[in-house]
Amino acid sequence: MKRPSFVVYGVLAAFVLGSAFPFYWSYLVASRDNSVLTGDFTLIPGGNFFANAARVFDTIPFWKALGNSFIVSGTVTLSVVLLSALAGFAFAKLRFRGRGVLFLFVVATLAVPTQLGIIPLYMAMAEFGWAGELEAVIVPNLVTAFGVFWMRQYLVDAVPDELVEAARMDGCSLWRVFWHVALPAARPAAAMLGVFTFMQSWNDFLWPLVVLNADNPTLQVALEKLQSGYYVDYSLVLAGTTLATVPVLVVFLVLGRQIVAGVMQGAVKG
Amino acid sequence: MRHRSWVSVLAVLVAATACSSGEATQNGKTELTIATFNEFGYEDLLKEYEAAHPDVKLTQRKTGQGAPHHQNLFTKLGAGSGLADIEAVEEGYLSQVMDKASQFNDLKEIGPNVDNRWLKWKTDAATTKDGKLIGYGTDIGPLAMCYRKDLFEKAGLPSDPEAVKSLFATWDSYFAAGDQFIAKSGGVAWFDSASQVFNAMHNQHELGYFDKSDKLVVESNPAIKADWTAVTNAVAKGQSAKLVAWSNEWNSGFKAGAFATKTCPSWMLGVIEAQAGPENKGKWAVTEAFPNGGGNWGGSYLTVPKQGKNAKKAAELAAWLTAPEQQIKAFKAKGTFPSQVQALKDSALLEQTNAYFGDIKAGALFAAQAQKVAQAQYKGPKDGQIQENVFSPALQSVEQGKSADEGWKTAVAEAQKVAK
Amino acid sequence: MTAVLTRSDRERVVQTRSRPPRHRLSAVDAKVSPYLFVAPFFVLFGAVGLFPLLYTAYVSLFDWELGADETPFVGLDNYRELFGDGQFWNALFNTFSIFLLSSVPQVITAVVLAALLAANLRGRTAWRMGVLLPYVASLVALTIIFGNLFGPQFGLVNSVLTTVGIPPVDWQANTFGSHVAIASMVNWRWTGYNALIVLAAMLAIPREVHEAAVVDGAGPLRRFFSITLPMLKPTLIFVIVTSTIGGLQIFTEPKLYDPSAGSGGGAEHQYQTVVLYLYQSAFQQLNLGYAAAIAWLLFLVVIAVAGLNFWLTRRAVR
Repeated sequence: MKRPSFVVYGVLAAFVLGSAFPFYWSYLVASRDNSVLTGDFTLIPGGNFFANAARVFDTIPFWKALGNSFIVSGTVTLSVVLLSALAGFAFAKLRFRGRGVLFLFVVATLAVPTQLGIIPLYMAMAEFGWAGELEAVIVPNLVTAFGVFWMRQYLVDAVPDELVEAARMDGCSLWRVFWHVALPAARPAAAMLGVFTFMQSWNDFLWPLVVLNADNPTLQVALEKLQSGYYVDYSLVLAGTTLATVPVLVVFLVLGRQIVAGVMQGAVKG
Repeated sequence: MRHRSWVSVLAVLVAATACSSGEATQNGKTELTIATFNEFGYEDLLKEYEAAHPDVKLTQRKTGQGAPHHQNLFTKLGAGSGLADIEAVEEGYLSQVMDKASQFNDLKEIGPNVDNRWLKWKTDAATTKDGKLIGYGTDIGPLAMCYRKDLFEKAGLPSDPEAVKSLFATWDSYFAAGDQFIAKSGGVAWFDSASQVFNAMHNQHELGYFDKSDKLVVESNPAIKADWTAVTNAVAKGQSAKLVAWSNEWNSGFKAGAFATKTCPSWMLGVIEAQAGPENKGKWAVTEAFPNGGGNWGGSYLTVPKQGKNAKKAAELAAWLTAPEQQIKAFKAKGTFPSQVQALKDSALLEQTNAYFGDIKAGALFAAQAQKVAQAQYKGPKDGQIQENVFSPALQSVEQGKSADEGWKTAVAEAQKVAK
Repeated sequence: MTAVLTRSDRERVVQTRSRPPRHRLSAVDAKVSPYLFVAPFFVLFGAVGLFPLLYTAYVSLFDWELGADETPFVGLDNYRELFGDGQFWNALFNTFSIFLLSSVPQVITAVVLAALLAANLRGRTAWRMGVLLPYVASLVALTIIFGNLFGPQFGLVNSVLTTVGIPPVDWQANTFGSHVAIASMVNWRWTGYNALIVLAAMLAIPREVHEAAVVDGAGPLRRFFSITLPMLKPTLIFVIVTSTIGGLQIFTEPKLYDPSAGSGGGAEHQYQTVVLYLYQSAFQQLNLGYAAAIAWLLFLVVIAVAGLNFWLTRRAVR
């Protein structure tokens, strides 16, 4: 296949530049002061970043919050991907009584706006004794209807029915069919669902704010404290968000190859 | 029978979990939590209190901004559990809290005797119709006027803090000076935003959106319509810079010099300094005057919700934190302006100066302004919302080009909807 | 996608098929396992998801103010009121408008982007990761940036417009303008993500189909429209179905876009979406009963729209 022309590279470069700009811009403000935002527009970073970063570390329990966020988002992502693939596989490939009704139920729950849920959910968590604990942020998110729907849709096409039939004739347990056939085939969808779930959980603010205590926050809850005071010091806030984005970027860069490869791998029809 | 055994198993489970969570004592210590937002300046005070009371362990739950703090408060009020022993409530949310006074302890009943500690209007605002005290006052935001000296001079207005007082004597003189100013200002507006002026005017009246029987009187209270007309007229003449308070644009407006006056509570000095930046140092001034007397914007209370198990001890702590001596320490730590009569006479406050505003004795200035507040306006149950979600947006829509009449009709209709 | 099965795998499957069928265990497995597989979802959902759902339904039948002493039963009054509530219909209109403004350009751009990424690029993975970058950006930072870009008076977009001689747009007051601004926020975050999904589907098109077309003398554009696009149809419709469900519940972006940090969605609710209205009713007006009714009505709307899309999907796949 021949190499594409420079026009293609040009368009893509423009797109990636647009994608990367907010990261640079956050660093820019964090390395200067508020004035960048109120008229003194510039693209050259200043020398305040480390001073602002130091203030972030003084103001909030950054490392603890970072650890909590990784625990929460990591657990949630792993669980959502695995359990969604499992249920998605069953809905896509297995025949059982009530399948249609149950799946309809899953899809229906997708359509429920979640914003109202925080009041009853808080009541439930308080009842379980989890108010203030990380469990309260993790457990309600261990499964998502979206995940099940997503994996089901993907697996319908990705795993041929004959294959499941054949494996069953062979006496393979369905669990093994799932583990050795469906799960590997689901890798591309799983990768996308993983990225989606991780970021969703990472950015979640309202619920963790309500249910967690100040001394045991996730990163977003901790970062909110940088906005105290009668005016918002954006250089401090953006220093905080930059510091919080770096670990995600690193994970993204390290795993990105795998993620992108995962997305593409299944796509090459043999 | 099977059914009943299930129920009992459940009951045991629930009881077990409830036991494991609800305990507020640890090694014989009483644990108290206090939930605040923004900066109350309590960090050192809480340590001091713990040192003096070895049987008490304190935890502070801090939220950065007021909005999420109060959302959290109302969520847990609705859920029936999870509130801190002491919850801070900002003045803007007070009417909603007063409406749910039954969920909060009467501090007169459970707290120590602290009569006459605060300015009368501060206490009145947190006292229910049947005389219950729901919150102890912490800080206030007495209003003065901030203005751009250089822009006043350019437009041919007096610019000396004494000389400008006559411009800010009444709202009429304020808007008249605005006309004079914009005639020569070359596009610079007189004030930042219509709602910032309107709210200050509105809160000076004895009665606001509701009468004392909690009936909505937006249409029948002539003062409201009069204020509306005065402000929208000024907007029509070009006096407003049309900037939404707290937006990015508003921040930029300080630096760009988009407007010449600002209704200025004590804490606004810091905002102006931060947003206008060092390059505008010396241009901003503040004067000991406010149209039609005095006013207040901001400040908070400490409440003790009934959910808490140690109400008495919580009230004791809240009373201690809001005592004049402690409030002065909080003022020194974070600049929260005291609401306590004795604290307002404290030399630390009276001697405080502000370099950005030409070394003016800001503490004394605002202490004097605090005394000019005539009374606490009676606030109906949905007062805060009508101000925030009905009148402010309606004024904004007039600034965006809607006619004043149309805007008024919308505001009345929406207020009726909210109050229902 | 059968790629994961190597040829030897398949041979093994074929070989093993001739073995005698096994014992009862496998029958039990076939009967029970499906339920075990879907059980985690339903058990967890039942434990933490169902209660809020039922609670909301229950509350919607009451005049339930958060923290109030009395919450009288009002039957369907909240729903009745909602049907006559202009603000609700306005919010529904805004929701659909923002949804269309974000999903249509987004899907088109995603397809184009995917087509570019499908080319034989140098440093393929890097490019692909590059377009996914916006997805990991922090929402706080985005709010500040977009607030700056679309500021009516000092914003960058308006300065650019003025420079090239186009009159500035009031991105707050103007209904359509505010929808465009919010949609651009959504698009910025999601286009790259969707492009990768489309790309995966694109790469799944067998190469032989393309090669045959090349032999027939079809140019790249022609091939794109007559081969690639039709074969992407199921994926595209799936992307649209899922984004319908998400799009109709749009909340974060319009909430962050309001400079007063409230939930009114602009001075005259120009960009208040349904979920934003729900949020305002619940947490600003503390009118939980009414908010619950909004939640359930929105639920019905989403079900109706998603159902339509779902039906389309199935038709398209067959």
